[in-house]
Amino acid sequence: MRSELRELWKYRDLLFVMVQREMRIRYKNSFLGVIWSFLNPLLQVVVMSFVFNTFVRLDVPNYTAYMLAAYLPYMFFQYCVLDSAQSILYQMPLLKKIYFPREILPLATVIANFIHLLLGFVILFGWLLFAYVRDPRVIPFQATTIYLPFLLLISLMLSTGVSFIVSALNTFYEDVKYIVQVLMYLMFYMCPVIYFAEQVANSPQNLERGFWLYRLYNLNPLAALSHGYRKILLAPVDVKIGGELAKAMPTPWNYIWLAFFTSLSVLIFGYWLFNRLKWKFVERP
Amino acid sequence: MGEVAISVKNLRKEFVVNHSGIASIKTLLVWWKRRTLVHQVVLDSVSFEVHRGECLAVIGRNGAGKSTLLSLLARIFKPTSGEMEVKGRIAPLLELGAGFHDDLTGIENIYFNGIILGLTREEMKSRLEKIIEFSELGDSISAPVRTYSSGMLARLGFAIAIHVDADILIVDEVLAVGDRQFEAKCLAKVEEFRRSGGTILLVSHQLDTVRTFADRCMWLEHGHVRSIGTPDEVVREYIDENS
Repeated sequence: MRSELRELWKYRDLLFVMVQREMRIRYKNSFLGVIWSFLNPLLQVVVMSFVFNTFVRLDVPNYTAYMLAAYLPYMFFQYCVLDSAQSILYQMPLLKKIYFPREILPLATVIANFIHLLLGFVILFGWLLFAYVRDPRVIPFQATTIYLPFLLLISLMLSTGVSFIVSALNTFYEDVKYIVQVLMYLMFYMCPVIYFAEQVANSPQNLERGFWLYRLYNLNPLAALSHGYRKILLAPVDVKIGGELAKAMPTPWNYIWLAFFTSLSVLIFGYWLFNRLKWKFVERP
Repeated sequence: MGEVAISVKNLRKEFVVNHSGIASIKTLLVWWKRRTLVHQVVLDSVSFEVHRGECLAVIGRNGAGKSTLLSLLARIFKPTSGEMEVKGRIAPLLELGAGFHDDLTGIENIYFNGIILGLTREEMKSRLEKIIEFSELGDSISAPVRTYSSGMLARLGFAIAIHVDADILIVDEVLAVGDRQFEAKCLAKVEEFRRSGGTILLVSHQLDTVRTFADRCMWLEHGHVRSIGTPDEVVREYIDENS
């Protein structure tokens, strides 16, 4: 694996240009261009938070920010996995002509999406400032925001690892792409994005079973991450459950560390699997 | 003779061919039941050497394994067995413009292609002018390449490949790019490349080009080396057999 990493380092310029190319192509022929990167998450979240504020009535002040904080990293993961599933197949003509480390293709997809995630966080902080101007009781920034790079690192490792696995397998079995689409759809509801982790912890199902449901729920690194992003970026908020107010939980550091080690393992396994299969890409039946 | 640039010993390449032609979970699931996978030997016990500054032509009928051999040398496939050593950087000239992206401009594509062939961004910056000049594309260079004609694409592709200063150039039937005038310019450039010590591997069906251009010639038949020697001898033998 070390010689493969050295080879990748030799081709770092290509990775840079690939990312640049990916960013340019995405909005090349659209009028609003890169503004779509901002508009997309914003529009989705505004619609969803309108629905939840008006019809579901969670009674959480500034709900949109809580949603954005978890939605952005979730979307980053989803885009990485779905885009990279096709990344090898799209470039097959190129692969058949020229040698370059094949892992650059999924990596470029992940990095381009990561840049979009960072742009998304700019929107989130803008939104927090806006909320502060409207209602000065909402504190815009938390001191714990300094942990953001750590969480971003975990997200990046997890997305890269899963992208390696999905892109390598989808090159041979194109069903993988559809399986992943369905899984991502289900996964969205298994992460505290449109609801709060406190609601899972205080649900009767969880309390009846001696809290193991919540523990199981947090084994999923994406769930722990979604919860974590919210905690470090935003003020703790009490959530109403069945008429009773559930106290905000502390930042789930134990599960975040678990997510860190899970993601690291996924990354190493993914890279290993990709390297095992990459020479067979051009020979696929 | 100079030092060895390419050395190939007992090279063998097998492909696994799936007759249904579809890669899916289904083929995986029924695989154990009906083995439709066939091992096809494309190259077997191929050995040869190419020295620095030499031009080796590879001839043979369609399906003899010529393109597979070049792909193996360009590190696109891994050999099934055998040894293969390539000293220096290889620039494939196989089907020019394979790495172009339609929505990007000519200049953006020059950067991308140069870097994929192993140069750095700085090195590309210093060559940009020369490449644009050689391609004779003028102002079209800042238009997206989807607006280019096939002749323009071929010219740009050749201009990039010849300017990346590779040690070994792989030429696969592509010297016929653009019009006659440009073709002559390309041949002159390739000749210049060879005089400065560059190695060339040439695959061609144009036997006249092989005779005038190559130093040695290798005849591949059904994945084996049928004969290797001076172009005149090998080409005569080849014509006798195939007429």
